[in-house]
Amino acid sequence: MTISSTTLRRMIVVSLILCWEILPRFHVIPELFLPSLSSTLLAGWTDAGEYGHALMVTLYEVAVSMVFACGGGIIAGAVVGSLPRPRVLIMPMVSSLYAVPLVILYPVFTVWLGIGSESKIAFASIYGFLPTMLATAAGIQTIDPQLLIAARSMGATLTQRVTRVIIPAAIPTVLSGLRVGGALVIVGVVVSEMLISSAGIGYLISRYRTILDSAHVFAGVLLVLVLAVAFNAIIRFVERRAAIWQTGTHAGADAAGGDAPAILPATA
Amino acid sequence: MQPLANVTRLQPASRAGSIQIKNVGQVFKTSTQSVEALSDVSLDVKPGKFVVLVGPSGCGKSTLLMMLAGLRKQTSGTILINGAPIVAPDPDRIGVVFQEPSLFPWLTAEENVEFPLTLRGVDKAERRRKAQEALLLVGLDGFAKRHPHELSGGMKQRVSIARGLVQDPPVLLMDEPFAALDEQTRMTMGDELLRIWAATGKTVVFVTHSLTEAVYLADEVVVMSARPGRIVDHLTVTLPRPRTYEMLSGDAFGAMRDRIWRHIRKSA
Repeated sequence: MTISSTTLRRMIVVSLILCWEILPRFHVIPELFLPSLSSTLLAGWTDAGEYGHALMVTLYEVAVSMVFACGGGIIAGAVVGSLPRPRVLIMPMVSSLYAVPLVILYPVFTVWLGIGSESKIAFASIYGFLPTMLATAAGIQTIDPQLLIAARSMGATLTQRVTRVIIPAAIPTVLSGLRVGGALVIVGVVVSEMLISSAGIGYLISRYRTILDSAHVFAGVLLVLVLAVAFNAIIRFVERRAAIWQTGTHAGADAAGGDAPAILPATA
Repeated sequence: MQPLANVTRLQPASRAGSIQIKNVGQVFKTSTQSVEALSDVSLDVKPGKFVVLVGPSGCGKSTLLMMLAGLRKQTSGTILINGAPIVAPDPDRIGVVFQEPSLFPWLTAEENVEFPLTLRGVDKAERRRKAQEALLLVGLDGFAKRHPHELSGGMKQRVSIARGLVQDPPVLLMDEPFAALDEQTRMTMGDELLRIWAATGKTVVFVTHSLTEAVYLADEVVVMSARPGRIVDHLTVTLPRPRTYEMLSGDAFGAMRDRIWRHIRKSA
């Protein structure tokens, strides 16, 4: 009997969840290190109001940072990707900046913008901006120039080449940039909340950790996990809608052997 | 022959499609040197003729084709199509088929064929009707909703030909359209192209590296020399139409292929 990879994946997730419940319950792992799933959920449920409020704060910060990081990243990436001069000026700088742990900037942002949402948004925006910009620039640079020549031969104006060729051709790469950039935005928001903050899920996790309330810490962790998984699901949904043509290598291989029947209606 | 009944609508009303190339030259300038790619090329093509350009690699035959397509400006001389100069791509007069099918992977076969019509704002019903006709002409009427990755190499090139024909231009330019295909598909596509050409009465200018393909397809073969490209021979293929596979091994066929080969060997 063979098990499909989807089934196997589900089985792994289920057994992990079971382990989470059983191991602490039977004191294989102390509850301080890993509280059981039920006590984590219970802690979250008892203080649902607190977590709900924290989630709202975090979601707000994530949403605003996404707009800055992704919007800015796409626009900057489009400029850098399509014009050689900015590319020569900016790209080496951006590439070396990419290796810097940007979190060192965060204390500076709190001095400038305070410990409220603004400093988190500033940090997470910059954090997610770079990969989005790099992916967009790469996406535009890797467009098959032959497609643009073909469009010109059909009389496409410059505007038409941008809207009907460059933008649709860049979408898959841009989306993969959004996936990385968006994930980094979530990381940036939660991390900055954990460092210096007064609200948000990261703040709750950090605060409960200082009083060694593991159940509440893990309730926060679970919430971040859900947030990240939900984000990923949204991106995948968009990818599937926007880029069906990228995923179809199987169908392409099938059709490769099917040229003969295609000829029949013409020659019959 | 059901397809041909519809196909007749694609025939041009007048026998437009004449090409006059007068003393055309092309010099490529780099910062350090200038290279003469084409030198004093003159050629008259009568409407409805199938003309094949052959020559050694780098003889400028593709360059000449790009100039006919309005995608490149000649350094000297004039090019007239339908008696009027070519200054920019003009899909009303010229359809272009490239070596790579250059289909937009995010569009279906039908939408790809419609693309030139979409660019000029033709309404959807009209676009669909013309695309259907063109797809029927190339024998792909059952594949309208497929994306390029679901089609074989030969089928993609058929879509590309349909796209070149959809605006019913009197002239069809083809730049090594079958070079990327395997031998068998290439033979089939050659016969298909002759059938389409006979059905539409277009003037075809076809660039190829294959001498067999040149003689098999052409009314006239134009042989060019290595850089700077000049016309060294212009022969009329006297084989009757329709061309058949048996002619390939005939004496007349061999004599013509040898004559072309001697020119090419001399200049290579």
